[in-house]
Amino acid sequence: MTTVNNEAAVHPDPLMIAGTRLTSRLLFGTGRFPSPLVLKHALEASGTEVVTFAVRRINLEEVEDDSVLQHLHDRRLQYLPNTSGANNADEAVRIAKLARAAGLGSWIKVEISANPRSLLPDPIETLRATERLVKEGFDVLPYTTDDPILCKRLEEAGAAAVMPGGAPIGTGLGILNPYHLGLIVEEAKVPIIVDAGLGAAADAAQAMELGASAVLMNTPIAKAKDPVAMARAVRLAIEAGRLSYLAGRIPKKRYASASSMPEGSLHAPFDPEGAL
Amino acid sequence: MAEHNNKFDFQLYVITGANYHPGRPLADVIEQTLIGGADVIQLRDKFSSEQEILEQARVLRELTRRYGVPLIINDYIDIAIMVDADGVHLGQEDLNLAVARRRLGPDRIIGISTHSLEQALAAQAGGADYIGVGPVYPTGTKPGRTAVTTSYVREAADHVKIPFVAIGGITLDNIDTVLEAGATRVCAVSAVVGADDPAAACRAFKARIAAHNGAAAKEKAKAEAEAEAGAAVTAHDLLEAQPAESDLAYLGVKINGKEQWTTAGTIEELIWQHSLEGRRLVVELDGEIVERDAWGRTSLREGSEVELVHFVGGG
Repeated sequence: MTTVNNEAAVHPDPLMIAGTRLTSRLLFGTGRFPSPLVLKHALEASGTEVVTFAVRRINLEEVEDDSVLQHLHDRRLQYLPNTSGANNADEAVRIAKLARAAGLGSWIKVEISANPRSLLPDPIETLRATERLVKEGFDVLPYTTDDPILCKRLEEAGAAAVMPGGAPIGTGLGILNPYHLGLIVEEAKVPIIVDAGLGAAADAAQAMELGASAVLMNTPIAKAKDPVAMARAVRLAIEAGRLSYLAGRIPKKRYASASSMPEGSLHAPFDPEGAL
Repeated sequence: MAEHNNKFDFQLYVITGANYHPGRPLADVIEQTLIGGADVIQLRDKFSSEQEILEQARVLRELTRRYGVPLIINDYIDIAIMVDADGVHLGQEDLNLAVARRRLGPDRIIGISTHSLEQALAAQAGGADYIGVGPVYPTGTKPGRTAVTTSYVREAADHVKIPFVAIGGITLDNIDTVLEAGATRVCAVSAVVGADDPAAACRAFKARIAAHNGAAAKEKAKAEAEAEAGAAVTAHDLLEAQPAESDLAYLGVKINGKEQWTTAGTIEELIWQHSLEGRRLVVELDGEIVERDAWGRTSLREGSEVELVHFVGGG
């Protein structure tokens, strides 16, 4: 994972999730866009190949079709329905089955919130749901807290990818614990996708530089002043971050080291002690 | 409108008749009927001026709202709009249904009086939310109108898909005959607002309707259970095999968490009634997903819980 491969900088660098080859490393959340039209343009600008959405009851009193899929059907996309609204593993499994019955494929984002204020995922129910859904033949992408051990357990349970949050959903706080994310990436044998809590393009770049395989983003794009421009910014940031990661960053040092060699300097170096 | 058929349902429909309670204020008598469980109130007044009727409508609007009961205004569309009534009731002679619908919009209830099956089917096709079927018996509120008798009630029960309410001269003495003819909703005027105790009268009416509807539902459930027990016979076969009567029965079901009545016998009919055909949606019936190709042969039954879900924006 950490080998520096300059080849990758010039050649395609696909991401494989559950046997599907993706060239874009941005997973795109479709909620809270100001209009279907903006959503469509932002999708286009983002270059994404994976979209997430939620399962909800049809509002029978509303004649208008507010389904999100009608805006997506003309694109070749991998669908990643989520189980948002589930409070436990049973409810998540039910929602997953409803989504699969619509013929949208076998991918499912497990999302089980345990607290209405933080919307942080319930680790125990998330693990349970992942185990059960893997047994049921789903390709499971659990949204989880950024706990390295939990992420490992989800991988062992058969998750196709593991999606730790950078910060609580919709907060835009960015990656609160880069150290944990680094550990998670180091240990992982499946793709790690940073999901939730990012605020703007820089956060996406940071996630990729920390070694994440991809980023799932919704609110920072949908609620940006210009969602289409932000979608493009995030796309570029993810590419930049990925390249930066592959290129290999320099180690951090406490003191400066000059960019040019000292030999042949026209003047003697500054000596605070006056020893020279 | 199909939308309303599911939202607007009732058992006891009470119409005002100030001449039946001289000396007692309208609001007091109607409040008693609301206490007794009237499900709908219609303001009908053929004698007062439009201004007086508007005043009454305002009072009844405030009153019915307090009890969460729909208010229907007879004839006066303008008054219905002014007081924000839930709908209007029109006679055969009144202005035509399409015009009324244009003025009232899709959400307000429109009821039509009918005196024959032909009129009933015309009202249904024209988008009425319910119809009155009557007068079943000769009545003082419609002097000179020939009673249609319970044979028209039976016809309506067999052929009319929107809610219909039996009306005209119905009292506690003859209500059972009306219910046996197939009515599940009954309208009363003099027998309720003219009673010494309108609340008690309403309770008595509702008990009789509930008892009858309950017995009918039980019989139907029993027939279905028997059909299910029979090796090759499914509930749907039973529905198909039986004449219109059970096909048109209203089932009490829960759809997306809301209790409602439906005439749909199968999932497919339910989808169709909600104009959801062609939409990407998933159906769950009593906790089990019903695959699309099984919608046509999957029956609804009394107490069925249906979830209709689709996909909305999310991250």
